Amino acid sequence: MKPDNPILAAAALVAGLLFLSPVLYSIFMSFQTADAYYRGGLDFTLDNYGRAIGQYHFARYLMNSLIVSGCVTVIALTVSTMAAFAFARFRFPGGDLLFAATVATLMIPSHISLIPNYLTLAKAGLLDTYAGLILPAISNGFAAFFLRQYIRGIPRALDEAAYMDGATPLQVLWRVIVPLSRPAIFSMGLYVFLTEWNNYIWPLVAIGKDDLYTLQIGLARLYRVNPGEGLVDWPLVMAASTITIIPVLFGFLLVERHLVRGITMGAVK
Amino acid sequence: MSGITLHDIRKAYPGGPEVLHGVSLDIRAGEFVVVVGPSGCGKSTLLRLIAGLERCDRGEIVIGGRRANDLAPQNRDIAMIFQNYALYPHMTVRQNIAFGLELRGMPKAERNARAEAVARTLQLEAYLDRKPGALSGGQRQRVAMGRAMARNASTFLMDEPLSNLDNALRVAMRTEIKELHRALGATIVYVTHDQTEALSLADRIAVLKDGHLLQFGTPAEIYDTPADMFVAGFLGTPAMNFLPLDRLSPSPVPPGRTIGLRPEAIRVHADEPSGLALPAKVLLSEMNGAELILHCETDAGRVTAIAPRHEFSFHPARVWLGCDMSRAHVFDSRTGLRLEHAAMEV
Repeated sequence: MKPDNPILAAAALVAGLLFLSPVLYSIFMSFQTADAYYRGGLDFTLDNYGRAIGQYHFARYLMNSLIVSGCVTVIALTVSTMAAFAFARFRFPGGDLLFAATVATLMIPSHISLIPNYLTLAKAGLLDTYAGLILPAISNGFAAFFLRQYIRGIPRALDEAAYMDGATPLQVLWRVIVPLSRPAIFSMGLYVFLTEWNNYIWPLVAIGKDDLYTLQIGLARLYRVNPGEGLVDWPLVMAASTITIIPVLFGFLLVERHLVRGITMGAVK
Repeated sequence: MSGITLHDIRKAYPGGPEVLHGVSLDIRAGEFVVVVGPSGCGKSTLLRLIAGLERCDRGEIVIGGRRANDLAPQNRDIAMIFQNYALYPHMTVRQNIAFGLELRGMPKAERNARAEAVARTLQLEAYLDRKPGALSGGQRQRVAMGRAMARNASTFLMDEPLSNLDNALRVAMRTEIKELHRALGATIVYVTHDQTEALSLADRIAVLKDGHLLQFGTPAEIYDTPADMFVAGFLGTPAMNFLPLDRLSPSPVPPGRTIGLRPEAIRVHADEPSGLALPAKVLLSEMNGAELILHCETDAGRVTAIAPRHEFSFHPARVWLGCDMSRAHVFDSRTGLRLEHAAMEV
């Protein structure tokens, strides 16, 4: 697409560079030695990436983060989509109350549930496990609310047509509602994945074993690596940060094409 | 093919008044029944009850000899065409048509062959791999029909399927639906507010008003012997004229009677005829092909009449109207009900 207005295009380019500059700088810094960084010189190296992956277990943390964020995203979206379908399409006793309770969960700060969640999982023996990281995040009131609003915008006649064609409610959900809600589901998926990817507090509380640490915990631990008295090994931290953002960038590029509008065009009239 | 019996059907929506007040209908297997009535009369609700998309509060629905009140829509062997088509926008025409077959477990090759056969019948072959968003209104309507046809259901329900089409396409599709009925031999229940559609398509017509069934009969019965003034006025274009009998008859007549005259039962004269005729001032003249539709003012009230165009100027100022009393209907002015054989007594 060619820009219509060159001034606007130039302004957009400058704004884009402004937003990108910290990221570009951190990537640049990740290829420096700590010595060169503190001396103010230039000394290109790949060693920071090697150390982060080998010495500081970032390959393991990356896998843990992918497992936890991936599972949370898939399970939370499944649960939220089914709840949203029920809230949007069926009237059942207590349905309104249940929906109000779901919305009310959005008003509770997540930190308030830290201790109750910890005690529950401790009682269930799930601390220091993947399940302990995943389970508290799978009920997502915001996702249920957001998807319910989206599903309400899909003409009910499509459900009815599917029922007349012989579909069961689950088939209506899976064959009609889910494909038509793809933009909303993928947007919400991205949101849930990023929230879990960046989650620091809960893994810090629930995990005490090094081999279950996620990227964020691993990153925080890198601040303790001292190249000299009172100094932080920033090039190493930046290399680890770059490792942290690469999967998210790939994920976004993968999901982006699904974030399209106008998918219900031609359904009715 | 299966017949449908509705017995004393009552329905109210939550928090609203009753929409259907005890409707009973006996639809024979293979019959084409049109349910007609003004907006809000409950005709779409009746269709949705037959489909199983709504549950009735009271009464009994029997489909193919089986009580269907508690049957889910998918277990009623019914196909439905919706007013807004309700095509699956993420599926191609082929997938839309074959979806019902897929849900019933038909192998892919077989269901694709069926979809293609249906598409051939409806001249949709060229569009099989398009999505509904890339089709015109008429094509979408055909896909909706194809989706219903593919399933070979015993009963078809059609909820104002032609209301979104332009006039020319509507007339063409009307013929196709009638031919389809002949070819499939299925029971069809068709809902419309368009009386022309009702008269041209139906084996029998059910006229609904305010949730009450006013009359159920063949188009000729409904047109020639309407049950009351509403039915008489609702079916037929231009509508039937209603005049107070005592202002028409030169001799004394029982009070509280209204005479109903269809425009074609009125003879229009350019000059005063020798027999009994009402002088009329022409208020508006509409050209309707070979005929003129004249809206006139008479001493008895407003009258609409049809005159052959070649006998009159486009807007005659004054005409005389004669009545063929053998074709007149007499109604009780208070109840609106038609009085049998009363016309001849006048």
